[in-house]
Amino acid sequence: MSTALIATIIFITVLVVLLSDKIDRTIVALVGASLMIGFGSFLGFYDEHLAVEAIDFETLALLFGMMVLVALLRPTGVFEYLAIHAARLSGGRPVALLVLLGIAATVLSMLLDNVTTIILIAPLAILITQILGISPLPYLIALAMLSNTGGVGTLIGDPPNVIIGSAAGLTFNDFLIYSLPVVVVAWIAALGVILFQSRRELSVLPKDPTVLDGLDPSEALHDVRTARKVGMILALTVLLFFLQGVLGLSTAFIALSMASLALLWLRPAIEEVLEHVEWAVLLFFIGLFVMVGGLEASGALKSVEALLLNVGQGETARTALAVVWLSAIGSALVDNIPITVTLVPVIQELGRQGLEIFPLWWALAFGAGFGGNATIIAATTNVVAVQYSKKTDYPIDSRMWLRRGIPVMLVTCLIASLAFILVLPHFSP
Amino acid sequence: MEVSSVMKKQVVSISEDATLDDAIQLLAARRVGLLPVVDAENRLVGILTLHDIIQLVLPTFLEMLEDTDFVHDFGALEERRIPIDERKKPISEFMSPPTSCDLTCGLLRAEAMMRQHELRDLPVVDEQHHLVGLASWVDVGVAFLENWSQPPDPVQI
Repeated sequence: MSTALIATIIFITVLVVLLSDKIDRTIVALVGASLMIGFGSFLGFYDEHLAVEAIDFETLALLFGMMVLVALLRPTGVFEYLAIHAARLSGGRPVALLVLLGIAATVLSMLLDNVTTIILIAPLAILITQILGISPLPYLIALAMLSNTGGVGTLIGDPPNVIIGSAAGLTFNDFLIYSLPVVVVAWIAALGVILFQSRRELSVLPKDPTVLDGLDPSEALHDVRTARKVGMILALTVLLFFLQGVLGLSTAFIALSMASLALLWLRPAIEEVLEHVEWAVLLFFIGLFVMVGGLEASGALKSVEALLLNVGQGETARTALAVVWLSAIGSALVDNIPITVTLVPVIQELGRQGLEIFPLWWALAFGAGFGGNATIIAATTNVVAVQYSKKTDYPIDSRMWLRRGIPVMLVTCLIASLAFILVLPHFSP
Repeated sequence: MEVSSVMKKQVVSISEDATLDDAIQLLAARRVGLLPVVDAENRLVGILTLHDIIQLVLPTFLEMLEDTDFVHDFGALEERRIPIDERKKPISEFMSPPTSCDLTCGLLRAEAMMRQHELRDLPVVDEQHHLVGLASWVDVGVAFLENWSQPPDPVQI
């Protein structure tokens, strides 16, 4: 048996186990990484040194830095503050509430880790809807899908972008220039689809919208001083992201140094802060990087490269379309993080073969990001939203998500595809 | 001091065959916070607290919120009730495992057990696990305070 075949079998097995959703994905990724190194050392195509090289520490450092900043912001109550303001602004009208909460979650998740955003906003959305006596279901789905979609617009907005940005050397501003315009159109379309799908639930008006006056935003924000300090550091972080190209700094360095600065300024109980860092997500990344490193070393990715070359026929637009749909469907079936980690070396190889790959990075960002809406397992935010829904009287199951997610994925991917067909020159450096 | 000297010996308990509705009526009529659940031979088989029952209408998502002080009005959630068919189910489906101490249990151990299991009352059983008393958090705590006014024992820490 060839090494490529063995590596592929390990990888596909891991994907199938992930798909079955029986074992926690971090455990699966770590076991998969161990298997890859074990078989790789035995057969001579991979070892622990190559595995360490395969880990993209820039991605990990950027995520870790942003997670620390969010962990510092979390106990101040600022997320509650924003959600309550959004709720009161809506006047208890269901459609307005969905749009306003959706905007709040989107803006937050464009600047912060979107898994954490959902972890913090979803319980408040449930609280607000339950107080009003309306179903939280369309809100939970909308929060996850809108923050997934909006997150595609910035470098730090969602995990696939962090990986792509680091691998391709894209800056924060690159994402604002090349990705954000498409994302704005896709986000509005996604909102339209969600509102249409939820029209029946959203037509149920709350009996007494004045109960929202019983939510006190200023009481929720109980640590204004800390919130202000972390807010200033976050503003400085974003400013440095803007100036990244001029200063020649990496996003990972900016995030880590700003997190350190915030820790120095606030001097919190460090164990409590670290408790709220998503270690499981970071370890999941490490496991995937190691596994895909083995897959690449074994030569197994050549078939994917050949497929893309074949479908794309060496034309950039065709290849970009192929990447959008391949990564979207892959993300829907498995999870957009492993799909992105797998396709990064494939695109790099296509570049070495002389193809213009700059547009392909955006194709991957759109495909993985928008594909992340299709199924529950496609994006981490969806998993969180579903877990929360199980704590209400309106649990979300996978068929329900599929019925609502597939149309959103199709419409947004179609918009990305149209962008490549109509304004391809936009996607050149 | 042992728990047997501070416990109440007249205990309101409920049979394991009773329904949730029976338990709700009994808790309200006797104004108690905990019902020891016993079998036909008066052996402790479980406990059912007011907290357990209120938890049935309290939505679980509240646990995910780190702070609820800012919620002045729970609106539609105040209207939640336990469905009738749920109330007809036997209490064995709702009760917690039988946390208890024996007659010779010390006051500090009783206090520690109540903290550990988040209880305000602790059933006391004999060697055959028969229910013989109920020590409340107040009984135990006050007896503990009264100990302090006694002349100190010859052996000091």
